[in-house]
Amino acid sequence: MKWSDRYLKKMQTVAKEEALNDEIAVKVTDLKKSFKLPTERAWGLKQAIFNRLKGVKGYKQQEVLRGISFEVKKGEFLGIVGRNGSGKSTLLKLLSEIYTPDSGSVKINGTLVPFIELGVGFNPELTGRENVYLNGALLGFSNSEMDKMYEEIVKFAELEQFMDQKLKNYSSGMQVRLAFSIAIRAHGDILILDEVLAVGDAAFQEKCNDYFKSLRGNQTVILVTHSMENVLKFCDRAILIEEGKIACEGKPEKVTKAYTALWQ
Amino acid sequence: MLEYKNMSIDSNMFSKKNRVLLGELVKTDFKLRYQGSVLGYLWALIKPLLMFAILYIVFAKILRFGGNIPHYPVYLLVGTVIWNFFVECTQQGIHAIEQRGDLLRKINFPKYIVVVSATSTAVINVLINICVVIIFALLNGVTPSLSWLFVPLSLIELYALALGISLWLGAINVKYRDIGSIWEVITQALFYAVPVIYPVSMVSASSMLAAKVILINPIAQAIQDIRENLITDAAATTWDTAGIGFGWLSIGIVVAVLAISIFVFKKKSKHFAEEV
Repeated sequence: MKWSDRYLKKMQTVAKEEALNDEIAVKVTDLKKSFKLPTERAWGLKQAIFNRLKGVKGYKQQEVLRGISFEVKKGEFLGIVGRNGSGKSTLLKLLSEIYTPDSGSVKINGTLVPFIELGVGFNPELTGRENVYLNGALLGFSNSEMDKMYEEIVKFAELEQFMDQKLKNYSSGMQVRLAFSIAIRAHGDILILDEVLAVGDAAFQEKCNDYFKSLRGNQTVILVTHSMENVLKFCDRAILIEEGKIACEGKPEKVTKAYTALWQ
Repeated sequence: MLEYKNMSIDSNMFSKKNRVLLGELVKTDFKLRYQGSVLGYLWALIKPLLMFAILYIVFAKILRFGGNIPHYPVYLLVGTVIWNFFVECTQQGIHAIEQRGDLLRKINFPKYIVVVSATSTAVINVLINICVVIIFALLNGVTPSLSWLFVPLSLIELYALALGISLWLGAINVKYRDIGSIWEVITQALFYAVPVIYPVSMVSASSMLAAKVILINPIAQAIQDIRENLITDAAATTWDTAGIGFGWLSIGIVVAVLAISIFVFKKKSKHFAEEV
């Protein structure tokens, strides 16, 4: 076969695969991740040299994810639940490309906006306005895009009179409201949220609930949460992670049952 | 609804998104640097001038190091300004990753941006300080010349070296925090190995070889080049004192350090988020 023919064939198969994946927003295949946890005090150069001389490894291999595979369809609201330390947050960080996987792959079809934590980069010494622009830049928005969004963000956070004050003078509720309002303005094809639903007072929570309900069906969302109520309320499908593996997958009702069964 | 954004890492260093982020981080760093001080940004000027005053009294007036070098006070000022630039750049740069760990753990963006933004305050400071130097030079009777146009080249060379060291040592410093302290000691030693306070002629008078060794150091080479181009031909540069070959060797060191540092940083930066 000629070089050009081979190339053409390869391109065709690639195109075929892409066509198959068109309905899929996220595809995770056999994802594995482990961390080296330092035993005693393996911090610093001295200990590292000692450990090498003594033949001590100085760390323990902790397998956090032991082969996880799942798919998220476009427009689907997926919930991820599990105990503390089961690997949920590690999974989100792998999806967000913050960590590099040991093996396996993550395929993202579209653009992804991660909120591992609200208000990343918020600095107490800067004003509310400056923090909004800094946070926006970290999320990949240009200044002119932020100019357009700014009014909406401030309005949703209900902080019109406070934007020129330093963040350290905000109450903690106000800070979270501001961070949350930026988060829901940053629209990508896929939204990743780590336990950030319950913020602010009752009135503000109501507003956020309405917003999440409006997302259902037209936005791909991956949500990590401990609230079974939220899983039932928002999610189309859920995954239970236990000891780095998927223990249960399917309808929210089924998964929340399996989750509560963990403690019985 | 608003435009869709792509959060995956941009491979293009100078893409619009990366430039915006760099700009915001630089602005933040600069605003926070002199937060709560009465004189604010003026400290960027006052600090090197005070340092210069001390060195001037000790070395030009008491120890009389100046010898036959014309405009010695300005010569000394240039040395301190450039040296401070190098030290500030590397010390901010090496700790950049560790200090911005909170960001790296929560969001994915090209890591070098953090290092470049940390060194940017030093860059802004040196540009302001060079203006001060020029004012002093004119007051001291230095005549402006076309050779002044070569000064930015030396500054770029020195910045490349400082950035290289920052990326390289900063990447290792994430895991072994001792590196930051070790580098502080090394800069202390380097200060005496670089002809900042003493003229090269003092060394070459007793040992030509020692003078040559001193001048291979790219920091010394850059400082002497700036002095020659800005103030006086009496400055002993690597090119005329040690030889053209040594001059290129010194530039070769900068290129090598930068190349290796980019390689090391790229390799290590994949794991910053979990190690920092």
